[in-house]
Amino acid sequence: MRGGAGLGTYSGPMPTRFPDWEKMNALLTSAVAGLTAGGTYALLGVCAVFTYRLVAVVNFTGAAIGTAGTFVLIALFEAGFPIWPSVLAGIAAGTLTGVAIGYIMTRWFGEASASTKAAVTVALLVGLIAVGLRLTGGQHPHNMPELFPGSAFRLAGVEVTIASVLTIGLAVLFTVLSDLFLNRTKIGLNLRALADRPMAAELLGVRVQLLSLLVWGMTGAFTTFALMIIAPQRSPNFMTLSLLVVPALAAALIGVFRSFWWTLAGGIALGIVEGLASSLDSVSQYRSAIPFLVVLAVLLWSQREARWDEAR
Amino acid sequence: MSRLVVSNLSIDRAELPVVSSVDLVSESGAISVVLGANGAGKTTLLEGLSGIIPVAGGTIAIDGRELQKARPGARSREGLAHVEQGRTVFRQLTTEENLRVSLHHPGADIAEAYALFPELVQRRSVKASLLSGGEQQMLVIARALLTRPKVLLIDEMSAGLAPVIVTRLMTAVRKLADDGLAVVLVEQFAALALSIGNRAYVMRRGRVVYDGDCAKLRQSPDELHRLYLGGAEAAVPV
Amino acid sequence: MKRASSRASLILIVVALGAGGAAYAGLLPSYWVFLATSVLITGVALQSLGLVAGRTGMIALCQMSFAGVGAWTVGYLNLAEAPGGLAAWILVGGLAAVPFGVAIGLPALRLRGINLAIVTLSFATAFDTILATMTYPGQTDFLQVPRPELFDSDEGYFVFVLLFYVVIAVALEIVSRSRLGASWLAVRHSERAAAAHGVSIATAKLSAFALSAFVAGVSGGLLAGYLGTLVAENFSMMQSLSLYAVSVMAGAHFAEGAIIGGLLVVMFPELLRRLDWPQDIGNVLFAIGATQALASGETMSETFRRQFRKLLPARAPKAAAAFASDLPAAVERAAGPALSIDGLTVRYGSVVALNNVSLTVAAGTVAGLIGPNGAGKSTFIDAVTGFLSSYQGSVRLEGKPLEGVPAHLRAREGVRRTWQTNRIAPELTVGGYLALAAKGLSTSETKAVLDWLDCPHPDMLVASVDAGTRRLLDVAGVVAARPAVVLLDEPAAGQSHEETLRLGQRIAEIPKLFGSAVLLVEHDMDLVRAVCSEVTVLDFGQVIASGPPAKVLSEQAVKKAYLGIEEESVAA
Repeated sequence: MRGGAGLGTYSGPMPTRFPDWEKMNALLTSAVAGLTAGGTYALLGVCAVFTYRLVAVVNFTGAAIGTAGTFVLIALFEAGFPIWPSVLAGIAAGTLTGVAIGYIMTRWFGEASASTKAAVTVALLVGLIAVGLRLTGGQHPHNMPELFPGSAFRLAGVEVTIASVLTIGLAVLFTVLSDLFLNRTKIGLNLRALADRPMAAELLGVRVQLLSLLVWGMTGAFTTFALMIIAPQRSPNFMTLSLLVVPALAAALIGVFRSFWWTLAGGIALGIVEGLASSLDSVSQYRSAIPFLVVLAVLLWSQREARWDEAR
Repeated sequence: MSRLVVSNLSIDRAELPVVSSVDLVSESGAISVVLGANGAGKTTLLEGLSGIIPVAGGTIAIDGRELQKARPGARSREGLAHVEQGRTVFRQLTTEENLRVSLHHPGADIAEAYALFPELVQRRSVKASLLSGGEQQMLVIARALLTRPKVLLIDEMSAGLAPVIVTRLMTAVRKLADDGLAVVLVEQFAALALSIGNRAYVMRRGRVVYDGDCAKLRQSPDELHRLYLGGAEAAVPV
Repeated sequence: MKRASSRASLILIVVALGAGGAAYAGLLPSYWVFLATSVLITGVALQSLGLVAGRTGMIALCQMSFAGVGAWTVGYLNLAEAPGGLAAWILVGGLAAVPFGVAIGLPALRLRGINLAIVTLSFATAFDTILATMTYPGQTDFLQVPRPELFDSDEGYFVFVLLFYVVIAVALEIVSRSRLGASWLAVRHSERAAAAHGVSIATAKLSAFALSAFVAGVSGGLLAGYLGTLVAENFSMMQSLSLYAVSVMAGAHFAEGAIIGGLLVVMFPELLRRLDWPQDIGNVLFAIGATQALASGETMSETFRRQFRKLLPARAPKAAAAFASDLPAAVERAAGPALSIDGLTVRYGSVVALNNVSLTVAAGTVAGLIGPNGAGKSTFIDAVTGFLSSYQGSVRLEGKPLEGVPAHLRAREGVRRTWQTNRIAPELTVGGYLALAAKGLSTSETKAVLDWLDCPHPDMLVASVDAGTRRLLDVAGVVAARPAVVLLDEPAAGQSHEETLRLGQRIAEIPKLFGSAVLLVEHDMDLVRAVCSEVTVLDFGQVIASGPPAKVLSEQAVKKAYLGIEEESVAA
């Protein structure tokens, strides 16, 4: 909703066209307002694809891991620590949470089926949310510092916030970086080998478990940072932030859990559609239903050519 | 001294005994050939040796160090390399990338791989899924060698390949043994394997039913025929 | 099977009568009765979850949303003063949830279960926000959902809920022992194997979903009568998630699992409250419990059952004498080709797995298909039984072309197969498995078929049957269905020499006893020699020889394919 302040100044000599123009502008404003959310969905979605492609887990705790890190930042900030060291501590906490979950997954569920692994992350999500709500005082409002206040630039008279530029930038950066990392480094090479044939990689002496933990840690760090940026715009309570995993997985489905760039685009589009929906009074209160509709549409579409696969 | 000593090894698959009380040795500089019809338990034996599946009983030792409880990665670092059947190249990686995955041992050099199989040099930047069957087989053998193994297990490397390529691969494997590697070669196609091998084992229903000299078995094709295509159970020569 | 089912139901009814009587007579403190009612309502919701999550193995994360649909429906019916009273409204509420269940199940029909987890979780989120905008019907007028007169007190309502619980539990027990119930377990274990028995995967999954949504809707209606008025919070996504964790932990697809789960959900926070501890620790426990259950592969119910069984002296099912004359009658088949394959070609990308393969299995005979590893035998079976998306050439069953017919319909038409790997759901009983494989078999026929192949008693659980015997059970299932042709994929693998000899005799008898022609894929050449009248040899996807086994196995080309021996060296 922010960024629409300049609207009132537009009054021209052609009053008959005025409502149309205002309507257009309002739509653009709300679309742009959805960008921050879109960037976050995109980043969370890309992390979900990253986790799935490299360690074969559909991770329902993705956003909860980042939320844990974000609340470490909030706690430190509320206790009076300076902001940037707190941010670093928060990211470290998110990374550790990711590694801890990754440890559970690799230690006990390394050989389990994909659906068992997903079920485990659902169970862990329940536990994480419970612990999180307890430690953070439930729905109790928190003072979440806005890390990047203000607007970056104006687009057709609409202010685009730094936060939105940053989340989208971060999502693009993560996509590009993971591309570079996977294709240009030895560790990335080992990860690709691991994803392709885990047993063949292990037989060559690749340290499979260590690499898996690395993946969990990396996605933990990035989701934490993304959630820190978006948290001030949402009601920063542990549950709502953890449940951002829903639009994230919807975005990952748009990329069929394979393509980073489609996931990125899907996440941003999801945010924009949500932004638009919130400007239409008749549907605004139902905008949380949008990921569901997207998931439904994508799955029905992708079912066209489903056939027997070996595993079943 | 034998490099690899396997004694009284038993392996179950889905609760079924697939390998029962197998004794096997592999010497440095020699090739132990394991023959047998499909379903005899040869592949399971190798998978048990490299740790892909757990063993139910018995011991596996390299240079006296027992490995039967270690994870596959740890066994690899102890000097056991396994070339699985089905040419398990990393499909999305190029030839050279496939080789680089095993480069974690100091002193290992990709040049060695290319020296063994010069065919791979001009295919170095081709995606492994696009290589021919023979090239893929060369790649997985070369990839295993770069881990600097003491013992090399090779499973069904000739399946589905043209005879001229099989000969090429067999020659390369013989050379590796001559350079001091201990090789365990599992084959369904007996003739060529016996011609390059030193010691032969024939498996039937999970047990070793023949343990002897390769040359000797080669000279009695009727015996071999019976071991494979049925008839009376073959006696175990001592 | 019927006996076991009615016994379990009987125990349940007796226990329920006792509990209901005690409560109604006022023998229990009313606060405990109030809590117990809550346990039962949660138990109903857990039963609905046990159906999809426990039996079909899918991850369903919006069960409380279905309950919400039921609850809100009851509220509207109350507001509209609909006839029938609470009991009828609850049933309507359950029915109202069914279309939601089916609609959400649709996108997960042909895809992996994980997608269902994503769909259901996003539905739960969407439903949360929608429900948040709708106050409970009648709430603004302080209109409560009235309980039926007879059950108006807390004790009375306990009995009312208990009646629902028992009826649902008994009904689910009966359904789960039916062929439909067996098909859910089969689908969970292996969709391909289920389809090979003629089970429609779509029907199995959607029926489980519809029934599950109905039961969940009923639990919501019961909650409406329990509390009188409701808020969206009762049906939030977190409730659904937590319920899922509990069902995984307790094993909600067992009758006692649903009660254990209900006790955990209700009593644990109660206990924490009394200890003055924060009540939300409960979810942490459920998360740990569920993770532990998934890691060990054993739910609380299963652990209890295992330990309970240890206490009881082992009682082997009594072996009743079965007579060979009890075998189901063979189906009369016309002479001529039972199965004819013409020019079958299968390509995977640029690889030709089968190249122009032709083969005929005559009615009343056993034919063999052999060849070295990777020759294309399994691909052949997959193509014939409908498990490949495309192939060239024609497959005809008794002259009728099968092209375009999906796997489960081919099975119903009369092409049946067994599997190299064990694909029988371990939760089934031996008899239950046979009922799934062969529709409409009588008890004595079931027993006779099992005895014929030395399979265990029908009441035995498949999980307790050794792997070698499971392969025989796989064969027993397909022949009991008496199809036109059975394709046996390496039935002797893993059998001892003596067992193989005996199995060979049995396979040779199949055409006469059951009227089915047999195509045997096997590596044991002694077995092939003993039972096959014709043998076809595949190598590199091509037919390299065919004819009587003695002749074919002595051909040089066959020896070469198997041994890689050049003709000269064999002659030498």
